[in-house]
Amino acid sequence: MATDVKPTRKELMAIEDRIELSERGHGTLEQKRDGLIMEFMDILDRAQDVRGELTSDYEEAQRTINMARAMEGDVAVRGAAAALQEHPEITTESKNIMGVVVPQIESSRVSKSLDQRGYGLMGTSARIDEAAEAYEDLLESIILAAEVETAMKKMLEEIETTKRRVNALEFKLLPDLYESEEYIEQKLEEQEREEIFRMKKIKDKKEAEEAEAAAEETDPFVDADVQESVAGGD
Amino acid sequence: MSQEIAVVGSPEFTTGFRLAGVRRFENVADDDKDDELDDAAERVLDDGVGIVVMHDDDVEHLSRGVRERVETSVEPVVVTIGSGTGGSGLREQIKRAIGIDLMEEED
Repeated sequence: MATDVKPTRKELMAIEDRIELSERGHGTLEQKRDGLIMEFMDILDRAQDVRGELTSDYEEAQRTINMARAMEGDVAVRGAAAALQEHPEITTESKNIMGVVVPQIESSRVSKSLDQRGYGLMGTSARIDEAAEAYEDLLESIILAAEVETAMKKMLEEIETTKRRVNALEFKLLPDLYESEEYIEQKLEEQEREEIFRMKKIKDKKEAEEAEAAAEETDPFVDADVQESVAGGD
Repeated sequence: MSQEIAVVGSPEFTTGFRLAGVRRFENVADDDKDDELDDAAERVLDDGVGIVVMHDDDVEHLSRGVRERVETSVEPVVVTIGSGTGGSGLREQIKRAIGIDLMEEED
């Protein structure tokens, strides 16, 4: 608050420095926010495409597994599911977008050939193979969606933080600093006016004293005459 | 470091993923979802997996705290499938951060 600051010239200079720094920071942060939003728009477009693919892959996967369940029975499908030997794994690397670290997910052993699946060729039908293949495709889409959506979440967090900083500078810190600056300037001006007034008073007093002294010097009997005339009058 | 993919949901939902090789799964029967889904989701989230897959409808069964964790979690990232919107959490976050609803056209 403006009333908390000492109205001194040193403090005014410090506040002016802070205002300059805050204005520069505000401009930079605004640019960062706009840049992040533009990057985010690109990712959002990609995310919407990936989401579309994910939804269609999921519908396809559901269709095939429902078919497999209908033809082979639920127990056969679960049996095949329990027999899988190869398990998909993901490795995460990171990429930097405008200071935001976003992941790049690499997957391995998601798509498998028939003999890699491990549930045997003789005991199961082509329906189960189709379902397994559809779910492998779905997993690929999920991994892609995970990558894009994590990037989106991280970018959004950064945008929110930057936006909050910009707003704090724009609506809180800078107005407070301007207020303090104005308060000190007004206080200093007031002090200056008081000082001038005081100087004038001193000058007047000094001049009056000097005039009195000068009058005494030029006519030292004035007082005695005045006293006599006053006494005679009585 | 390699991580696994996990899936949480009803046995019908998880079977397909197990067919694709996913071995970390939590089966919760439809009737028990209100009671057990919270614990199942938290077990998976704390398990060091890379991606958690859930059905969009199952997110509705989660309690407020776990649901928020599922919607905002980055490690592991939770991918919800089923309705095609990518979860209401992300949409809300976009609205809050950007100021406008950019996913509106999807509806």
